[in-house]
Amino acid sequence: MSFSSRFERMTKSRVWRAFFRHGWPDNPLDRSLVMTSNIFFHLHPVKVNRKSIKWSYSFGLGIISSILFGVLIFSGVLLMFYYVPSVERAYTTMKDIQISVPLGQFTRNMHRWAAHAMVLAVILHMARVFYTGAYKLPREFNWNVGVILLLFTLGASFTGYLLPWDQLSYWAITVGTNIAGYVPGMGLQIRQMLLGGVEVGQNTLIRFYTLHVAALPVLLGLFISLHVWRVRKDGGLAASDQQEPSETANE
Amino acid sequence: MPDSETPVTDEIYPKDSTKSYALVELMPDDGPMVGKGPDNTVFSFPVVLLWEIILLLLVTLGIFLFSLVKQAPLEEIANPMITTDPAKAPWYFVGLQELLEHMHPVAAGIFIPAVLVAFLFALPYVDYSRADVGVWFASRRGRRITFGTMIYTLIVMPLYIVIDNAFPLRELLRDSVPLWIAQGLLPVAILLALVGLPLLVLWRLKATRRELLLAAFTVMLVSAFVFTMSGFFFRGPGFKLYWPWEMPNGYNPLNEL
Ligand code: HEM
Repeated sequence: MSFSSRFERMTKSRVWRAFFRHGWPDNPLDRSLVMTSNIFFHLHPVKVNRKSIKWSYSFGLGIISSILFGVLIFSGVLLMFYYVPSVERAYTTMKDIQISVPLGQFTRNMHRWAAHAMVLAVILHMARVFYTGAYKLPREFNWNVGVILLLFTLGASFTGYLLPWDQLSYWAITVGTNIAGYVPGMGLQIRQMLLGGVEVGQNTLIRFYTLHVAALPVLLGLFISLHVWRVRKDGGLAASDQQEPSETANE
Repeated sequence: MPDSETPVTDEIYPKDSTKSYALVELMPDDGPMVGKGPDNTVFSFPVVLLWEIILLLLVTLGIFLFSLVKQAPLEEIANPMITTDPAKAPWYFVGLQELLEHMHPVAAGIFIPAVLVAFLFALPYVDYSRADVGVWFASRRGRRITFGTMIYTLIVMPLYIVIDNAFPLRELLRDSVPLWIAQGLLPVAILLALVGLPLLVLWRLKATRRELLLAAFTVMLVSAFVFTMSGFFFRGPGFKLYWPWEMPNGYNPLNEL
C-alpha cells in the first residue's frame, strides 16, 4: 500500500475523525475555516501578505518572545512544585532542586536562560517594530500595549531574580529597590510598599513571589493575547500596508 | 433607491449571477483594510503555522542546548550583614546603575527613566504619517541617519562615562554650587546636549519627523547599550571602572547572569 493511500485511510478512520472532524484543509474555504474556528489558530488572520512573512522583515521576534514566554510558564510551573517562598526554606529548596530533583538543575537553567532571552527578544522586537515604522497609524495603540508588555516583562524578570535568595539576588534587589526610594516626596512609601518593610526580608519575598508566579504572568498572558489579536485587527503586519509600486523604491 | 436605477456599485463591481454575495461589514473609508484587495497574499494555513513550528523548535532547542552547558548561578545564602562587592542590579537595570554613578539618584533613577518611558509611549503620536510604513529605516537617507547616530552615540557616550569618571562634577564643584546643580541640573543638561546635538543638526537639514525619531530612538537604544555594557563588564569591586580582563579579586561579571 502506498504512503498516500495509507495516510488517507488513517485520516478517514473513526478515531481520527473523532479528534479532527475535518480532513486536511486543501481548499480556500477550508483553509479559511480552520483559522477562524480553531481555538489555537483564531488569533491569526486567514490570509497574510507575502511580504509580512519574509524572515528579514520581522525576524520573528514577536513570535520568539511568545515562545519564550511559553517555555517560562512550562519550566516555571515545574519549579513551583518544589520551591517554597520563605526566608528559611527558599535557598534550601533551590539547592534541593539542583541536587536531588530529577532534571531539577536543567529545569532551573532553562527557566533562567529563557528569562534573560525573553527580555532581550522583547527589546529587539521593539527595535524592529520601531525601525520598520510599524508603530504608525493605525498601530499606535498596539505600540502602547507593547510598551506595557515591555514593562511587565522587566517586572516579571526582576521579581523572579529575588527568589533564589542567595547573595546575588539579595543585593541585586536591594540595589534595584533603593532607586525607588528616590521618587521625590513619596520615595520611602513606595520602597516600603515594594519591600513590605524597610529592608529586603520575608515580606519582600512573598510579595515578589506572588507578583512573579501569579499577577505578572496572568497580566502578560492577557496583554499578549490583546497584542497579537490587535496585530490582526490592524490589518496584519505593517509590511502589507505598502502599495505595490513602491516595492523597489527603497532598495 | 428606486428599483429601476442600477446601483453605482454594480457598475464598478459587476456581479456574477452564478454566485451569491454578502456584505460583511460597513467601514469608514480610512480603515486599514479598505481598498486592499487580496493581491500578493497567501493563506495562513499552513505557511504561517509551519513558520511558527520551526521557530518553536529552534528556540526550545537553543534553550535546551544552552541549559546543558551553562548552569544557572547560585551563590551563598542571602546575608544582610555581608554586602557583596560589587553589588549589581540585574543586567537590564545595570545601565541605570551606571547612570547613578554620574548624577543624583533622582535624576538618574527617576527623572531619566520616566522621560524614556514617556518618550516610548508618545512616539507613535508624534509621527503618525503613513508614509514608509513597514519599510526598514524608511529610506536610504533614514538608514544613513540611523547608522550615523549609532556611531555618534558609540563614540560620545563612552567618552562621557570616562571623562565624568576622571573628573567627577561632584568633586570639582563640591564647595562652589549647591548639590542639585552639580549633581542634577548640570549632568542632565550635558546629557541633553549630547542627545540634542544630532537632532538639532537633522532639524536644520529639514529632516522629516520619522527621521528625527529615528535619530532620537537610536541615541536612546545605543546609549542604553553603552551604559549597560559599561555597568556590566567594566565595573568591578567598589563599582569602579576596570578593564574586564583586569578585574581584581577574580571577579567575573559573567557569573552574575
Ligand atoms: C511580551 C512581549 C511581546 C510579545 C509576546 C509580542 C508579540 C508580538 C507578535 C507575535 C507580533 C507579530 C509580529 C512579529 O512576530 O513580529 C507583534 C507585533 C507587534 N508588536 Fe509586539 N510583542 C511584545 C512586545 C512588544 C513591544 C515591547 C512593542 C513596542 C513597544 C510591541 C509592538 C508591536 C507592534 C506595533 C506590532 C505590529 C508590528 C507590525 O505591524 O509590523 N510589541 N508582537
